[in-house]
Amino acid sequence: MRAATGLALVALAALLLQTAVLSLLPAGLFVPDLMLVVCVYLGLHAHSPAGALAAFAIGYAEDAFSGTVLGLNAFAMSLVFLLVYLTSRQLWVDNTLSKVVLVFTAYLLKTLAMVLLIGLFLSLEGLWRTIARYVWWEAALAAILSPPLFALLSRIRPLAEAD
Amino acid sequence: MWEFLRRNGTLATSGALLVLSLALVSTNARYQRLDDPASRVLLEGMRPLQLAVAETARLGLAVWRQYIALVGLQRENDALRKRLLELEQEIVRLAEVEQTNRRLSELLEFRSAFRGRAVAAQVIAKDPLPWFRSFVIDKGEADGVRKGMAVLSPYGVVGQIQQASRHSARVLLITGHNRGVDAVVPRSRARGIVEGAVGDGCVMKYLKPGEDVQVGDRVVTSGFDGIFPKGVVIGHVTGLSRRSRALLQVAQVEPAAPFDRLEEVLVVESGNRREP
Repeated sequence: MRAATGLALVALAALLLQTAVLSLLPAGLFVPDLMLVVCVYLGLHAHSPAGALAAFAIGYAEDAFSGTVLGLNAFAMSLVFLLVYLTSRQLWVDNTLSKVVLVFTAYLLKTLAMVLLIGLFLSLEGLWRTIARYVWWEAALAAILSPPLFALLSRIRPLAEAD
Repeated sequence: MWEFLRRNGTLATSGALLVLSLALVSTNARYQRLDDPASRVLLEGMRPLQLAVAETARLGLAVWRQYIALVGLQRENDALRKRLLELEQEIVRLAEVEQTNRRLSELLEFRSAFRGRAVAAQVIAKDPLPWFRSFVIDKGEADGVRKGMAVLSPYGVVGQIQQASRHSARVLLITGHNRGVDAVVPRSRARGIVEGAVGDGCVMKYLKPGEDVQVGDRVVTSGFDGIFPKGVVIGHVTGLSRRSRALLQVAQVEPAAPFDRLEEVLVVESGNRREP
């Protein structure tokens, strides 16, 4: 329970940072997707239905604050969680570099999933061009910021084990 | 079935959530985004937090920008102070250049008054011992400076070349005990010899008892000694010594040239005559 609360607090802080703080900075054009990092962390360490639900909730929360279609981020986050979960079952992802690469790849996957869904359901002309322009920078930013966030999240693990 | 779900709960949940998400996307795309209550709750619930965080972040950013601006101002201030210092130094340098220019112009004008050879020189060293009353100039034999040549300034007679090396020369001032300068008082044409005296001044010796010499009279070179050109100011009379039984009278002369402040001088060939 304490672990869930801790995780929820971190996710909340990430959402607040993403929506209220980072956009104010001069580099606000490239807001790092901290929620994705939390989602990847869940895929790596929360191998349970609760983890999948948390990833969905994170995506849903992102949907609530974004102008996209409801369910878009929820789908993308759920997909990321699933793929990371499957990857972590097959590969040993434990060192910092591999996690950074994983976050970078996860961001690209999330974007790809969203672009596909938009293309499928909304067909917004020219959106992919805009996304293609920023996706690499945002993926890199999320990847760069992932080690400290992972370090913060790793403090919750002992709580989970205690629970 | 239940066993499969129990063993693959995470996969099953993820799959179900993916399907649910797709349904959400599909429905919302069709109906231009539903006004779902969950989103409303999230938006409303997060509002105070977002407001507080955003205000705090804005305040922090404002403080930071203010700090950066202050740092910028400090830097600008430092740069301006530095520039001011540089400009002050430049002003001093330019004033010095102007003064040098004025002195050199005077020297040039003075030099043009002489026929024959005249060498402009700069004072580069002063006598380390004050009682010898000499200084060193930056011109020597290579420039045509020879022992015994007259040294003048636009203000008046300075002295004589005492010794010359290849590229420098030592000048003995007229206030030193050197050979005298044949002098004349232009007002009365009284003649005498100006020599160095004890102290900083000079004396004009060998004045006949009846000669008309008064305090304040200007004393100039006569040109008869074959060293100093005729008509160059030596100084002015500051006092007279008239002894009733003495055959000759002596006048105290204050040199016109400011020896302590001289920076440029003119070395003139012996026997050079001044233009009328």
